[in-house]
Parts: sequence; C-alpha cells; structure tokens
Amino acid sequence: MAYALNLHDIQGNVTRAYGRFSFPFARYFFFQIRHPAAGRAFVDAVRREVTTSARWPDEADKPNCTVNIAFTFMGLYWLEVPNRTLQGMPDVFISGMRSRASMLGDRDPTITADDDPDWDRDWDPIWQGNRKEGLGGSEDVHILVTLNAQPDLAGAEPGSQDFLARLKNPHPDLEAKTDWLRSLTSDGIVLLERNGKAGDAPFQSASAVFDDFGGVTLPTAREHFGFTDGIGDPVFKGQYPPAQEKTAVIGRGKRMGGDWEALETGEFILGHTGESQELPPTAMPPEFMQNGTFMAYRKLHENVASFQSVVDEEAQGFATSMAIDEPQARETLLAKMCGRWSDGVPLAVVPDYDEWIAFGKARGWRNENGSMLMTPDAWRKQIAYIRSAEASDFRYADDMAGFKCPGGAHMRRMNTRDYLDPLNAFGIDPETGKQFENAGATHALNKRRRILRRGLPYGPPNFEPRDDASEQGVIMMAMGVDLFRQFEFVQQQWIQYGLDFHQGNNTCPMLGRHDHHTRHMIPSDPKSGKPPYMMTKLKTFVECRGGDYFFVPSMIALRMIAMGIVDPT
Amino acid sequence: MPDLDSGHLFLTYLIPIKRGGPRNDVSFKQKVRIELARLPPAHQTPATQKTAYAAPFARNLRNHFARMFVLDNVVYNGRNRQNALVATVKKVNTITPEPVDGLRSAYLVFTADIDAIVKDGDPLPSELSADAQRRVRMAYAQTLWETMGEEIKAIFGNCHGFDGTDSGQAFGAYLERCHVETTMPYHDYYLNLPAFNDLPLKGLIVAVGVPAVIGVGALLLRLFGMSFLLGMNTLVLGLLGVALTCLAFVLAVRFAIANGAKPLPPAAHDDLPTVLKALYIQQRFTDFIAEHQGAAPATLHAAFGDFLAQHAPADITHPTQRPGVISDRAPQPRAGV
Repeated sequence: MAYALNLHDIQGNVTRAYGRFSFPFARYFFFQIRHPAAGRAFVDAVRREVTTSARWPDEADKPNCTVNIAFTFMGLYWLEVPNRTLQGMPDVFISGMRSRASMLGDRDPTITADDDPDWDRDWDPIWQGNRKEGLGGSEDVHILVTLNAQPDLAGAEPGSQDFLARLKNPHPDLEAKTDWLRSLTSDGIVLLERNGKAGDAPFQSASAVFDDFGGVTLPTAREHFGFTDGIGDPVFKGQYPPAQEKTAVIGRGKRMGGDWEALETGEFILGHTGESQELPPTAMPPEFMQNGTFMAYRKLHENVASFQSVVDEEAQGFATSMAIDEPQARETLLAKMCGRWSDGVPLAVVPDYDEWIAFGKARGWRNENGSMLMTPDAWRKQIAYIRSAEASDFRYADDMAGFKCPGGAHMRRMNTRDYLDPLNAFGIDPETGKQFENAGATHALNKRRRILRRGLPYGPPNFEPRDDASEQGVIMMAMGVDLFRQFEFVQQQWIQYGLDFHQGNNTCPMLGRHDHHTRHMIPSDPKSGKPPYMMTKLKTFVECRGGDYFFVPSMIALRMIAMGIVDPT
Repeated sequence: MPDLDSGHLFLTYLIPIKRGGPRNDVSFKQKVRIELARLPPAHQTPATQKTAYAAPFARNLRNHFARMFVLDNVVYNGRNRQNALVATVKKVNTITPEPVDGLRSAYLVFTADIDAIVKDGDPLPSELSADAQRRVRMAYAQTLWETMGEEIKAIFGNCHGFDGTDSGQAFGAYLERCHVETTMPYHDYYLNLPAFNDLPLKGLIVAVGVPAVIGVGALLLRLFGMSFLLGMNTLVLGLLGVALTCLAFVLAVRFAIANGAKPLPPAAHDDLPTVLKALYIQQRFTDFIAEHQGAAPATLHAAFGDFLAQHAPADITHPTQRPGVISDRAPQPRAGV
C-alpha cells in the first residue's frame, strides 16, 4: 500500500521545490520578536495563509503566491515555547549556523576564531549580528517567512506568445503579500530590513535566472555560473501520488540492489520512519515535531568573474594536454568539475564531448553547429528533458575510477548514489577489459545523507554584466530531519574534504574552499592514451554570506505555537 | 601472543593509581588527570599548532599511536539478567540486591601501537618469542624514559609502586608488572592483504569426524549383536574410536586457538619511518605532478631527476615528515624537550 501522508498538515515547501512548479520568483523576510504575545499573534495571522502540501488542484487551489514560515531556535524561545520542548531540540539547531562556521567551511579552518575575530566581514549585515557574542541577542533573526510567486499570466493560453511574454513578471500577489506582511508588524514584531550586501534591502529577493530566447525572456533552470541546477532532488514515500512516484523515483530515490525505490519519509519529515527503520528523535510533545522538518538557510555568493577566469586559464592547459580545441576543452572542463554538462546532461550517461553535442542536436536544443538554439521551442525541449526521469537515471558504481565522471566532481560528492557501497570492486575486470559493473551496488551509505534542496538563485537577470563584487548567487535551503547527519555531514565531509572519494584534502571544485587546497583531479581512461589532468588553480568560487538553521513546523504545531499551548507534559 | 601482530606490538598497561591524596592536596587521581591534561597535543589543528612543543610521544620514532586515560571504575550494568521462568523456578528474589563488582583503585590506562623493534632501524619481525617481546617492551620503556622522562615522572609519580623509579630500566620493570595482553590488535596500513591464518575447518572436521563415525558405528554393531567386524572386536574398535575422537577433538581445539594466536607477518613498508617518508613523498610528488603536467618528455625527465635527487625516496631518514605534525608544510614544533 502506498504511504499516505497528511499533506494538509505539512508545509508546502517541504514536499515541493516551488521553482519546478512554475514559481520562479521569491522573497525571503526575516523578523525579530520583541514581545512574545505579539510574536504569537503574528504567527497566528501568518499560519492562516500558509501554503500546505495539499495537492493541486484536487485538495487545494494552486495559489498565485505561496506563504511559508520557519523559526530559529531563538525564535522559538521568544515565542515562549516551553523549556522542556526547547531542550528536546537537536543541539546543532540550538547552537545555530554561526557557531558551526569552522566545521562548515564558512571560515578559514586553518585560523582559529581568536586570530580572525572578523571572519564574518563578508557576511550580509543582517547575518553579521545574528547570534553574535556580545550583542545580547539584540540582532538575532527569529522568524523566516518565504513567499514564492507564479508569473503574472493573467489567464493567457499556455504556450501562446502572450503566455511566454508574461513569464518574466511576478504575479501582483507577491507585492500584495509583501504589504500584508508589513501590515502585521508592530513594536512587538519587527521586520529586519538589513538584507543584501549593503544591508538596506527589506527582504532577500530571489528568482530564476532568465535569458533571451528569440526576443522572449524566459526563466531557465541555470544558476549564475551557467550550470543547469535543481535536477536530482530526492523523492520520498508519500511525496507523489502512487502512479507519479513510479517515474519520479528513477534516479532520485535509492537502489538497494534492484529497482529504484522512494526514500523513507522519515529522512525528510519528522515523526515518520527513516532509513534506519526507526523514528527520528523528537522533542515533547511529539505533535510539536510531527510533520515538521529542519532547514539550513544559506546565502551563497557566486564569484562569477573568478570562476570564468580560472576556467579559461585551466581550459588552455587542458586543451594542450588533451590535444583538443579550447571551446571543447572549456565545456569538458566545466562538465568534469560539475558532473553534468552545462545543459544538464549527466557525464555518467554521455561522457564524450561529441556525443554530448549530438545528444543536444537529436533532442532539438542545439543547431547544426552544435551551439544552443535560443528559441522558445528549444527552451521547452530542454526544460522537458531535465524534468524527465532520463536526466537522473544513472549510477557511479560502474565507473569507480571516475573515467567518465571524476570522483571529486561536484555532483558525485553531493549525491554519491551507489559509489560508496563498500563491496564495490575497483579496477579493470579482466574478463571484459572494462571497469567492473558492480551491478548489485546499493545506496546504503548514501540514503541517510540526502537533503531536499529548496530556494532559488538571486541576482541580476542573465544578460546583465556581473563580476565578483556584484550580488549574485543561490539562496540555498537544505531540508532534512537531522541537520547534523544530513546537511552538515555533506557540507563538511563531502564538500570541504575528499577522503570518501580518494581525493585527500581536495574540496569540491565548485562549492569548496580553495584558499589552501586548489586542486581537482580529472582521471582519464588509460585506453584513450591521454594523461589525467590536475586542475591546480582553483579559487573559492562560492562564499557563504550568512544564514541560520530553522525549524519548519507542521500546521498543527504552528497553531499550538500561535495559541501558546505547546504542552510538553 | 596477541600483543604481536604484523610486526607491531599492541601494548596495554593498566597502572593502579594511588588511593586518596597527599595531605592538604587534591587526590592522586586528579593529579594524574591534571598531568595528562597538561600534555601538549600533536600539531594537528590551528589551535594546537600554537603550542611550543609537540606531543611527547612524537619525540621518538617507535609510536604509531599512543593513548593514556584514567579508568575510574568498571561499569555496573545492573542485575544479571536471566530468563524469568528460570528465575521463578530457582526462587530468585529480585528484591535482594546482588553484589556489585568494582575496582580497588582507579587505573591509568596506557595503550600504544609501536614498531616491534629493539633499536631504531631494525626490520619489523614476523615472529617474536615471549622473551624477545619483553626485550622490545623494555627497549620501548627506555626510549620513553629518555625522550619524555619528565612527563613520565609527573604522571606516574601518582601511581602505586612507582616511587623510587629512577631509570629507563626501572621504568621498564615497573611497566612489566602492569602489562596485560592485548586481545584485539588493529592494523590499518595494509597495501596488500597478507595471507591470513585461515582455519582448515574441513580437515579438522574430518580428523574428528572419521574416528567418531567408526567408533559410534562399531558400538552400534555391537549393540545389534555383531561381535566381530573384519576380524576385529567391535567393542574394542568402538572404544578405540571414541577415545581417538576425544583426543582429536582436544587437539583440534588447541590447534584452532594456536592458529588464531599466530601473528600476521609485517606488511610491506609499514614501520613508522617509512610511513612518515611515504607521507612526505606523497605530498611532494603530487606537487611535482601539478607543476609538470604537460611538460615535454625531456623537461619531465630532467625535472624528475631533480626530484629524485632532492627528495631521495630511497632514504627513509631524510628528508622526511616529522612525527606529530599533519604535514611537513604545517607549522612545526620548536625544538625542545
């Protein structure tokens, strides 16, 4: 029997990445409670508008603008959630993200905090004061409210020119909801209007990166480095209707020797059985955590100019070493850093440059010369492909040496799939002369580290010039029941360290810190006669600009918080 | 002797700490803890790299790993569990407390994995007699006394029976009295797995099973009235078979235990100086690859010649990485005691 969830009780951003559901615009608001009763009144007003996971259109109407809410630990404290409940919260959530900076790689791990007291100098002002020692909590962030808006379609016929032309503007409800949120503030609950690098923005805005497709401005699935993002999010039991789950799990669930299966709900939503076949720990009363989850909110700045210049420079060396031309070297290098080609086609499936160009031509998003077709039709085909099961259906255990997708590539670190099965055979199978197939490899060491990725890019539309100093990046929202076991583990062990992938101290070529370790190894199949290539000039391309850990309660828990009747006895 | 495995000694010492404390002072147990807390750690983190001295165990080239901690007491796990029905039949009264076992004093636990050698530079041995192992332990104690005698006196001075120990020889003799056998060694350097001492289970089953089948068969035949088989008395044959079975069983068990106790041979290149040299070469060679990839063959050849001359891979003593630091590039401890 299919696993049934009380979708009306779960906040909508847990089960849905809104960006995939035609909500390309977002605003993130941060509030501080000055008086507990005012805070509870605010929660009570907001919870009535919160978008749940109820399915559209059968169980609820699809909103023009979604509303979701989450709390830091200090927020729950200021809402007067009882001490006994607070004590039951996980310790990393209680500590908050700032105190975990060294371990997360958000500050230089080779310098102690005493020697670099100003390590958060690049953080946005709103985050610099949050949970900072000596401020007595006066600048703490307590509540996050997120709004995600559809485009202003005004009933245009889907697919029509009018429809496409309208995709670039958010629905007016986004502005209306912004006004409504402001109207809920008072002396007792204030909106922290210190967002952005300058610290003067009333909220953090975000949106898909847009591009020009034959005169029409359309949202892409790309981030500011140019990679296609947000493809392989995990799929868990009860997230999709049974019929849809069958295809959704392909490449996005887990393999335990057989077919793809959905992950256990309890990895992502509290109060349900997890992959350990146990219930996750809970604070009292159990209803407080049931159907809720935790979220790491991080503003990740992208140093676009550094990235482009390093890739250009390395591409020259790569072109010489591989005896290929520079455009091919550049694209291949990007793919070997990421694990996917820039249009989202996985290296594990299409490892060769010529095959990749042919693939795009056959699918209708590349022209005869092999360059991207910038037409609405090509845009539609490309989006359809990355939404398909095909774009996620691949494994790594048949490529243990990383000849196709390097072991240290970004994607292979983020979601290791069947690569870490300890029984995998490494090397060349003497019978076939190829790498071992490891057909029965499982996701056993991977399935407890998965995270849901929510959030959107922020910054200017694609066609505006950018450099390291301009504001662009990704608002990363990583969700899971255990920040320590899931988000922090991936961030520390897989992004900022490489031992699980036989990469020594080499960090993720895209997300990792590169102030001390600047290398990324690209293996080469010895049969090709080409040497391996070591990138040696990496810089830190992605920098955290702040954030914190949030609890995303269920609708029942929100109501209990608002009424002030969380009863742990 | 499970202490010896793969050319290393896995040492465990349990050193009783004096009970009580000196007059007008804190307990001896706390004094041991204070001395342990004062030991400088290895230079492995930015914070520890500021200390002037590295971990004292890094002052010699024998230690792969060493650990000292205070064992307060043994853990009490509650009443002995037993089947409720059995307990009822045996009339066990669970209201009556069971005796609780405890240690008579706290212990300083000292464990170390060391190269099983008597002097630096010796090759790792495959087998060592009990006496030879004792000599290795004595040589190790002498090394510790010479390199960290001050710390040893400060720590062990709070331990029972240590007073008057004033030489490496005496320290070795003291440690001998506290030595307990390590039952579970752990080795992590294998480049290639050695030939494990597999138990020839089938052979042992045959050795015990064949006389058992003959003995029991003969006794059964006797029971059914057959006194002779192929001219042999079935009773005698049966008893002989049973006796042989018992003997074979005892021998098989002793063989299995002895087989389990046999040490594995040393793996290639896993004495401490070689491991340190390997770490050094690994770092330098990766740098070499990074600096010379794509170079013309002649340039590469010349550069590699320079590399060999400069880093001398065959010389494990120099240049190399010092013990107790995370890499030879990280801040190094100042020379000192």
